[in-house]
Amino acid sequence: MSKRDIAIVGYGETPIKLRGGRSSYELAGDVFAEIVESTGIDKAEIDGICVSETMSETANPFWSVYMSDMLGLSPAWTQINGLGGASVIGGVARAASAIRDGLCNTVLVIAADAQSSGGPTEQGAYRWEFQYPVGLFGPVGAFGLLSRRYDIQYGLKHEALAKLAVTQRNHALMNPNAVDKLNKPLTEEDYLNSKVVSEPLRILDSVMVCDGANGVLVTSIETADRLGLERRIYPRGYAELTNFNGDKSTPDITETGFSVVGPLVMERAGMKPADVKLFCPYDDFLIAMILQMEQIGFCGRGEGCDFVLNTDMSHTGTLPLNTGGGQISAGQPGLAGGGHNLVEAVRQLFGDAGERQIPDLPNALVTGIGSIPYGRNWHVSNAMVLEN
Amino acid sequence: MTQAAQKPSRPLPRPLPRPDVYVETTPFWEAAKQHKLLLQYDTETKQYQWLPRPVSIYTGKRTLEWREASGGGQLYSWTLSNVAWPGHADRAPYMCALVELEEGVRILTNLYNYEGVELRDGLPVKLMWETLSEEFEYPAFEPA
Repeated sequence: MSKRDIAIVGYGETPIKLRGGRSSYELAGDVFAEIVESTGIDKAEIDGICVSETMSETANPFWSVYMSDMLGLSPAWTQINGLGGASVIGGVARAASAIRDGLCNTVLVIAADAQSSGGPTEQGAYRWEFQYPVGLFGPVGAFGLLSRRYDIQYGLKHEALAKLAVTQRNHALMNPNAVDKLNKPLTEEDYLNSKVVSEPLRILDSVMVCDGANGVLVTSIETADRLGLERRIYPRGYAELTNFNGDKSTPDITETGFSVVGPLVMERAGMKPADVKLFCPYDDFLIAMILQMEQIGFCGRGEGCDFVLNTDMSHTGTLPLNTGGGQISAGQPGLAGGGHNLVEAVRQLFGDAGERQIPDLPNALVTGIGSIPYGRNWHVSNAMVLEN
Repeated sequence: MTQAAQKPSRPLPRPLPRPDVYVETTPFWEAAKQHKLLLQYDTETKQYQWLPRPVSIYTGKRTLEWREASGGGQLYSWTLSNVAWPGHADRAPYMCALVELEEGVRILTNLYNYEGVELRDGLPVKLMWETLSEEFEYPAFEPA
């Protein structure tokens, strides 16, 4: 993906709602219509679709086919990505490969999930025997264990977490798509005083599960030229890893797939972390962003808290962070959450970000995280560099 | 009693294990009834693995057998859960932990009887058993 032969030429995003009551198809319809209208593309030109797996519709084994039906598309190539929050940038990468291989020309990469309005889903496997009887509180419990271990090895500075929470909240206040329930100013004291849910993890360390949808349109430069699609963002580097340390029984759980994916994506994009001008890390939990900063290489291992405390990550700062508020302050639209930070990066690179716009932005680094395994950190790590 | 009478509905019961739904674990649960903790052991690489899987995570082969663990281990991480997973409301807050066993694997577990003990990395712990039902004895740990 080091060539500039593939481009993102459009994007769409719904407002994020808590228990909004609208289905994943309705939400996807909003995103699709926004993309069709904003790009002016004839929808018959869209001959590929890549849909993220959801919590709300996961029982449907024909999800991408039904989505094509609902949107009136007849794709030559379809894909379902079951990578959780890594599905959307993973979808852009797979779309690029399919286009390069001649399987299709223009792909709708779309994610929609009404998780907060839907019923519970079940991941099965070992959980009924070795997790549910223990009562670990899902990802919150897993990140409680991870945070404790980080604290043991490096010392967890709660003021750094507080700064991340406030930085992202300030960004969400400028994002009209952010969830209403979190649309109020937050202070570091508010964060530090918030309820401890799974020691040492606070409730404001984690996302609020909501409903929402987002998507991007991916095509080749040739097709973009033919269709007169002039607004283009180029995916320049991508790396992905699932089940990091999967053949180890006692790995360091603070070491994640980003220790591999981070350096690899920088190498593939021909960049150093210091070259990144907008950082959009997947943020299911605040500490996940600190681990990513360390393992992508913005700072050394165990130095993430100090890096946060010494860096201005506001939209006017030296390393702007999730300028849409991130999932933690804009709300997590279920398993469409990975697209929230991607769409914000595309919006910024297009110059559409309004009062939170970063001037003359040359690039952005977007990451994804998916699925929480037994006794480690997370299953899927991926990262993509986008360039103007 | 008064408190229970005020509750609108009965809380969910603590989830019971469902053997053999993803791999064959009946030997594990049969041994658990005898208060023996079994782990999978790869006879080729001579390493243990946890949790149970269909193949060796080291080689991809089915060279696995069940072997009894010593029951000794050390605390690796822990989190006091103030929020209850469905079925655990009546015992919150409760301590969840990752324990590193002497056999070189980590197990997710509840930690009990730690009052007055300062929890720390490497704290020696030992196996104990919880009776979940007539069918199920469940492994847990406490300071050694």
